[in-house]
Amino acid sequence: MGTDAVKSVDLVKVYRSREKVEALKGVNITVGKGDLFTLLGPNGAGKTTFLRTISTQLMPSSGDAEVLGYSVTNEPEEVREHIAVVPQDVSTYQNFTPWEYAYYFARLRGMSPSEAKQASEKALKAVDLWELKSRMCGTLSGGERRRAIIASALSSNADVLMLDEPTSGLDAVARRGVWSALRDMVEEGKTILLTTHMMEEAEIVSDRLAIINKGNVIATGNLDEIKALTPEKYRVVVEGKFERLSEFGEVTKLGDRNIVYVKTQEEALELLKTTLKMHLRAEASPVTLEDVFVKLVGGINNHEGQSH
Amino acid sequence: MKVKVTKILKDTLLIAWIKSYPDFRRNPLTLLLFAMVGAIPLFFMLVFSGGGLLIHGLVGAMVSSVTFIGVMAGIQDIAWDRYVKLREMIVSMPVHPASYALGIALAPLLLSVPSLIFFGALVASWGVLTPATTAWTVLALLFGWAAMSTIGFMISTYLFKVSMVVLSNLSTILGFVLVFIPPVFYSETMLGNLSWISMLIPTSNVAGLIRAYMGLLPLSAETIMVRWLILVVTTIVFVILTSMKARWRET
Repeated sequence: MGTDAVKSVDLVKVYRSREKVEALKGVNITVGKGDLFTLLGPNGAGKTTFLRTISTQLMPSSGDAEVLGYSVTNEPEEVREHIAVVPQDVSTYQNFTPWEYAYYFARLRGMSPSEAKQASEKALKAVDLWELKSRMCGTLSGGERRRAIIASALSSNADVLMLDEPTSGLDAVARRGVWSALRDMVEEGKTILLTTHMMEEAEIVSDRLAIINKGNVIATGNLDEIKALTPEKYRVVVEGKFERLSEFGEVTKLGDRNIVYVKTQEEALELLKTTLKMHLRAEASPVTLEDVFVKLVGGINNHEGQSH
Repeated sequence: MKVKVTKILKDTLLIAWIKSYPDFRRNPLTLLLFAMVGAIPLFFMLVFSGGGLLIHGLVGAMVSSVTFIGVMAGIQDIAWDRYVKLREMIVSMPVHPASYALGIALAPLLLSVPSLIFFGALVASWGVLTPATTAWTVLALLFGWAAMSTIGFMISTYLFKVSMVVLSNLSTILGFVLVFIPPVFYSETMLGNLSWISMLIPTSNVAGLIRAYMGLLPLSAETIMVRWLILVVTTIVFVILTSMKARWRET
């Protein structure tokens, strides 16, 4: 396996409760060692199922995945030696302190008390919680509590960290604190697999990413490669009434505003000139990951995935 | 991978410590609350029986110290761990499921130690405790704790999808029903011909055994053997029922 930290091959997960739900439909994903890889998808796309499967919490229905060369199906104990997980919507024990989270999780990893102390100090400093290490989690803000949990994963010294929507529900400042900690970990050589439905997060922190929808991976690559999947390279947001907008490119209507997607800079300038002549407000910029994402997953009103 | 027994034991103690120490240190009122579960019936027994039945009540208080929170913790701790996702994090760690289960069960036992010592000291002041009686009492209490913890585990395992609020209420109700209705705080001789029922319920079975060792309940050696057998079998049956349904790794 060599340079791959995580590799899933035709991974299928079917939930059989009242009705059969195919959450993963043959997912193939490769995460390189030392990468921060983001799995991006709408709610219910299969992100959490994928993460729970490769972190050995769920048995795959078919196919397999390897973490650092160990099969999640046949060698879960070996996989667990090398991973640390932060689940979605994770909460904290109110009576615990960030120090206790980091220290006891390190001890459960088999570290000696002195090793665990060292690892906990490093982890809490990395997530900027060292000053608050002895405060009870119940008195911390949501962002601080989340960082305490991330510190518990970090203190494990695991090679691969798996974080399921770690910044969900956090404010902008707290989110940036988590992002900064994640990038620091990558600089230290950790591999991070992150799931999110936030485009900004994926755009800022990822080295590589995959878009998943309805259990299928519909795109994978770095940010530029993902953005290259659609021919439109620019977006022009036009405010006000303009009947002939569709002559310039594909239009997405958002109430009294329209986003027009065009292929070249010249086309964007042409549209801007026209709107200025009509005394309309308009703004042009390169397409965002969100534009590409919405196009790939099928638009605002259509979340049907298109398998590539 | 070879299972390392020392790692399992170490993790068990660590999880028990994690699950009890913060409450011990930062929420000592919890300990008082646990002690009151046993103390309140004692108060009424003192008022209404004039102290005549108090030794039976003290035996009940000792039993309730380990069993009431045993069943509650078995249900509530597991439900709470699912809610805060601690369980998910531990499943993905190099921790054996046995360490988690035993650690969860051991934590309430640690929390019950202060009230157990308090009630034990009162029993000792009655002069009914010899070294042998003490040893049998501790053993019976340990089995009572084990049986009630496994009942708690079984319920939380079979009611996997039930909300935490419902499980919390259910565990409290079950704790009260199993501790206060059967002959735990009173002697089973008061049930007359129905006294055999007390053998079938772990809480009253343990209370009956302790009373027998203290000379408060006349039981033959054969009956004591049968009661131990029932206690052990009950615990094993609940362990089997739980392990049939419980999945460390979901399928």
